[in-house]
Amino acid sequence: MMPPVPMTEPFLEVLSPGLGAAFHDQGRPGWRRFGVPAGGAMDAHAAACANRLLGNPPWSTVVECLLHGARFRVLRDCWLALTGADLRPSHPRWRVFRAAAGETIRLDGHVSGVWAYLALEGGFAAPHWLDSASTLAAAGLGRPLQKGDQLHRCESEPRFEMPPGVTARIAHWSEQRDYSHPPPLRVWPGPQWDWFAPDDRHRFFDQPWTVAAQSNRLGYRLTGEPLARPARSMISEPVRIGSLQVPPDGQPVVILRDGPTVGGYPKIGVVDPEDLDWLVQTAPGRPVRFTAISHD
Amino acid sequence: MRWLPYGPQAVMIYFADEVGAEAFQCGRAIRAALERRPPPGLREFVVSFTSVLLEFLPAHAVDGDALVAALHDAVGASAPSPEPPRVIPVCYGGPDLGRVAEHAGMSECDVIEVHCGVLYRVYSLGFAPGFPYLGDLDPRLHVPRLATPRVRVPAGSVAIGGEHTGVYPVESPGGWNLIGHTAIRLFAPEADDDARFFLRAGDLVRFVPE
Repeated sequence: MMPPVPMTEPFLEVLSPGLGAAFHDQGRPGWRRFGVPAGGAMDAHAAACANRLLGNPPWSTVVECLLHGARFRVLRDCWLALTGADLRPSHPRWRVFRAAAGETIRLDGHVSGVWAYLALEGGFAAPHWLDSASTLAAAGLGRPLQKGDQLHRCESEPRFEMPPGVTARIAHWSEQRDYSHPPPLRVWPGPQWDWFAPDDRHRFFDQPWTVAAQSNRLGYRLTGEPLARPARSMISEPVRIGSLQVPPDGQPVVILRDGPTVGGYPKIGVVDPEDLDWLVQTAPGRPVRFTAISHD
Repeated sequence: MRWLPYGPQAVMIYFADEVGAEAFQCGRAIRAALERRPPPGLREFVVSFTSVLLEFLPAHAVDGDALVAALHDAVGASAPSPEPPRVIPVCYGGPDLGRVAEHAGMSECDVIEVHCGVLYRVYSLGFAPGFPYLGDLDPRLHVPRLATPRVRVPAGSVAIGGEHTGVYPVESPGGWNLIGHTAIRLFAPEADDDARFFLRAGDLVRFVPE
């Protein structure tokens, strides 16, 4: 489904979506009981930071770029912000910058992280389904951006203006994340925590896990010394985002923003929602470590 | 009923030990209660076969015992009046109808008759937007999923997967046996609120051949 074209002039044109580029926002909570994933930007922290830098409302739509290769041509002078993964971009990250018509914004390489966010002053104009512009192509809710797509501004929002006397607007250093050094990720016990043998619970926290190549917006697969699957049959039950499901092969899968709402695999734990933003920025082949946090 | 914590701001409540009529009624009453009078700060909930997940907004105290007590009262007090079954007309004859008939040891006509002869319960929605897990399927029609899932199953496909039957609301990959097709749209994202989903957990469904 093509987004409806607003009666305005576009600001950017997609020269290449690279490995993948799509509209996202804060997602659509409230529909998971109908089987609709909540979606939303994979790294909510980075997406929110990009909007905040430009003074956009928190629900504004951004473009999420997967790894390298995305390129955009600037069609009209505008203010932009780029956050998230370090993909050797042509323009600075974690700060507002002015782009002139004719320039090209490139995300050409890969240093660290997985997902980069491009925000436009006022937010991108994007079609909404079920209260959100977050793309869920598998369900027909939008489609990934393609070469030639023209991107418009949300004209109901004011343009960005650098306050008088201010020369730069830069994210606080504590918000600029270096994804090559994620902290240990906090994990709460999952509903089937007690089903796992003490040895396996220790094994889960004692070893580094590697993010596998078969990882996407639905879930990240982790590889390491496998956990023994509990010898109990299970009735399918609701799954929370961040859950660490353990399938029969003993290699956990972290359920993520576009992941299933119901599942039949035991869940040893659930990653703290705040730490999920670090997890999703861990590139395939890179390690993650977990640390236990308890309800007591 | 019992509950378990499930990370910050969430609880999982188990309201039955096995799938069946009792669990279905209970899940239905819980859904109705959560829709009618959601507890303060409820961000979202998901009802499934024997359990319900409740997630709360930040900074709302989550008291599992109180939630269980409230839902217990709601289930006991109100038996929600049964709604008429949702009718799904089906054009039987999918690519796996023959396979299902062979597995069941009956003719294709008999498979259709048996599949239509049951009033199904929507135990859970999941896998895809609006995808219903329907039970209880006649045990003779319990046919294992395909060894190799199809890359593309058309929207509207009526299918059997193990002990469940269901309908694919959107085109997707899938490993269930396809036995028919319906023109009913189970998921219509462009529609208004109530019309977006043809089914919800707790509904009853009847298939009618056309």
